[in-house]
Amino acid sequence: MVAILGVMALAAVAAGPYLLDTYSVNILVRSFLYGCIAIALDILWGFAGVLSFGQSAFFAIGAYGCGLAFVHLGLSWETAIAGLLGGAVLAAIVAAFVGWLAFGHGVSELYVSVVTLVLTVVVVQILYSGGDFTGSSSGLSGFDTFDIEIETWFWITGAALVLSAALGWILVRSDVGRLLVAIRDNEQRCSYFGISGSGIKILVLVFSAVVTSLAGYGYAAYTDVVAPDLGGFQFGTELVIWVALGGRGTLIGPAVAAVVIDFISAYLSGSLPFIWQLFIGLLFILVIVLMPQGLGGAIASLCRRLWPWPMDSPGVARLAAVRADRIAREHAAPAIELRGVARRYGSLRVLEDISFVARQGELVSLVGPNGAGKTTLIRCISDGHERSAGQVAIQGHDIGRLPPERCARLGIGRKFQTPNVFDSLSVAESLRIARARLEPPSPWRRADEIHLPEAALRVVRATGLDRSLTTTVRHLSHGTKQALELAMVLAMEPRLLLLDEPTAGLTKPERTLIGAILVDLVANHDLCILIIEHDFEFVREISSRIIVLHQGRLVLDGNVEDVVSSELVRTIYVGEQHALRETGA
Amino acid sequence: MPDQLLDVLTTAAILYIVAVGLLIVLGVLKIINFAHGGFLTLGGYASLIVSQLHWNPWLAEPVALVAGTVLGAAVERIIVRPLYSRPLDAILATWGLSIVVVQVITIAFGRGVQFVRSPIEGAIPLLGTSYSLYRLVLLGAAVVLALAIGAVMHGTRLGLVARAVIMNEGLARGLGINSELVRFVTFSVGSGLASLAGALITPLLSVDPLMGVPWLLNAFMLVLVSGTSLISLAVAAFVLGGAQVLISSYGNPVLGGLTIVVLAALILRVRPLGFARG
Repeated sequence: MVAILGVMALAAVAAGPYLLDTYSVNILVRSFLYGCIAIALDILWGFAGVLSFGQSAFFAIGAYGCGLAFVHLGLSWETAIAGLLGGAVLAAIVAAFVGWLAFGHGVSELYVSVVTLVLTVVVVQILYSGGDFTGSSSGLSGFDTFDIEIETWFWITGAALVLSAALGWILVRSDVGRLLVAIRDNEQRCSYFGISGSGIKILVLVFSAVVTSLAGYGYAAYTDVVAPDLGGFQFGTELVIWVALGGRGTLIGPAVAAVVIDFISAYLSGSLPFIWQLFIGLLFILVIVLMPQGLGGAIASLCRRLWPWPMDSPGVARLAAVRADRIAREHAAPAIELRGVARRYGSLRVLEDISFVARQGELVSLVGPNGAGKTTLIRCISDGHERSAGQVAIQGHDIGRLPPERCARLGIGRKFQTPNVFDSLSVAESLRIARARLEPPSPWRRADEIHLPEAALRVVRATGLDRSLTTTVRHLSHGTKQALELAMVLAMEPRLLLLDEPTAGLTKPERTLIGAILVDLVANHDLCILIIEHDFEFVREISSRIIVLHQGRLVLDGNVEDVVSSELVRTIYVGEQHALRETGA
Repeated sequence: MPDQLLDVLTTAAILYIVAVGLLIVLGVLKIINFAHGGFLTLGGYASLIVSQLHWNPWLAEPVALVAGTVLGAAVERIIVRPLYSRPLDAILATWGLSIVVVQVITIAFGRGVQFVRSPIEGAIPLLGTSYSLYRLVLLGAAVVLALAIGAVMHGTRLGLVARAVIMNEGLARGLGINSELVRFVTFSVGSGLASLAGALITPLLSVDPLMGVPWLLNAFMLVLVSGTSLISLAVAAFVLGGAQVLISSYGNPVLGGLTIVVLAALILRVRPLGFARG
């Protein structure tokens, strides 16, 4: 399908110069380059969720790479390649640095937009202060450049645009594309699957920077002029506007919008420059408020309603069992070891002095009234940044201040209290994401078979998820989302399972099934499971051990019968007066 | 030395005046009003109009304040309110508004740089040196403004309600507070303050349609680094504004212009809370 459209587009490009006048061809060469940048920005923003106002900075780096090489080193194949690679490498380094700044732990998601905007200001200032080397405010112009006809440039840049669109399309339809969407929608959940959202976003930023710098190189080689405001925030924000108008997340929309708007601007810039800009500004506001999916998105959903596009839903994925290794029981290190773990918010002590050890093959239930600190304890185990004091060791490794994705790679699978899933993905795609760390996704294919371990398969089949593999998760019921999250966590093949009220919202038969699965995992697959539950019957049936928390402290840690018959537990749950009345005191 | 100190203080004061409107909008509405620069420009041109009509130059400030507040009210209803649940889109939409404002001003007044006479001219002797009187007036204005906003926030019912909405809007609504009204008033006032700032700084520099952008960037970074605390904003304005003055004087003026944005970006990376108490 992609191939057919691609060939048609190439044919249109080939015919272009013969059907259009020279002025239009001249403009379109530049517009096509802008289209390539728009595609890169859409992948970065529409799919990976990184709003970058600074693509213009990378464009300027590529353009000046060309200009500087030709001005200072003359025109030859070596200098041409040097300029190209120099620009691309510098753009990549700058993008990596910006990514490191913007995607660190705890940094607000607004920050990347801020930093990329600042980047444009910095780049323009650097170019202004470059003296004779960069040509300062007038830039560089009139340098020797490739001696190519306008028509040939048209074919080159047109083909580049078609190629970018085709490759981009393949990428966003692939499993890697779905992974980008997952990171955009719920980066926290991805990190608990061991996927480093920051790392991937940095990669996408670098990739888009390199593509943009290549477009800049082409621009400079064609127009023979480079000036500092190529890198300014005005162009940078214009790119964002084109992508928004074209429809973020549609890939083709932004490319078309960039080409069309630039083309029209060129014609109108002589006669009504400000009114056209005003119109674009107004249109932008209107689109954001009324039609946030952009014109491309609106057209796409209209088409989808009128004509079900076969490309939209690829073949229904099949589920297959993966053989889980039976890991030998001799482990020197316990699954979890906590020593003196505390969590304080100022003077509020949510957890104080929690110490216990749990081993593989144990199913430990964590009980206690609301506010006892159970979920906080789970957070402290699965995220190295969370606790205020104490040590946590998973399988003998001290988690120190490791972020959740590193803790997840130590073998922790965490299920959240309220369903924490990917709303805009389908059930099958969600399961695929859960497997991403164990089976790296492909950047050009969508896998048609999803491998799940036996436990996950049982959950999926018993709760009917295998019949709704293509359903978007947003449309599932609360209980089904719970089941999906449990299946996703089991799909990770964790060694340590942290479950926060896994049966909330499930029916009694489903509860029994989950219970059986958990017991089996512990007995036959040697997992260690830590489960927060309020349903005492459920707890009694499946646990090997119960830990009781009360007001942030660990008050009891023992086997099921001891805890259940303990006076202390009754007092905690039922209240002291009531307990006394019951015992007849 | 005393010259430098006064420069630092007055620069900090100017930054504070420009940024405070953005801060209260961020605190209550949780969005960054990218049209802040546009409102600033509007205030600057209001000042220009007042001077072209030969009115009392001190009238520029109230005119700007009123114009900014009224326009801000309209913007809140039409653009910001529908985007209540989409804060990132609200940022984009206000950026679009900024473009519209700049283009309208360009069409009406042309692209050129114009000047407005200062309501107070000359210098007075202070701390052994002669210093611009207008800048000292701005320092005073900043202090008055800070005290006024502080008094409203901590001494009036409106301020209490606004603080409640800042801390936990859902809970405030649950308690019967009309958070929509609070947001409406806050955005209008914040925009009015931006225009007021524009009118106040115009005599120092000049007016042109693009004057708002560098101020927006600086104010933006200051606000991010301050969290939602007015006191942190004052501290940030002092520290970062001071750095800008020092680097511009002893180093390179180009670097000086970049100081605030670069320093703030680095501070936020190291301590995402910035100057706010964590």
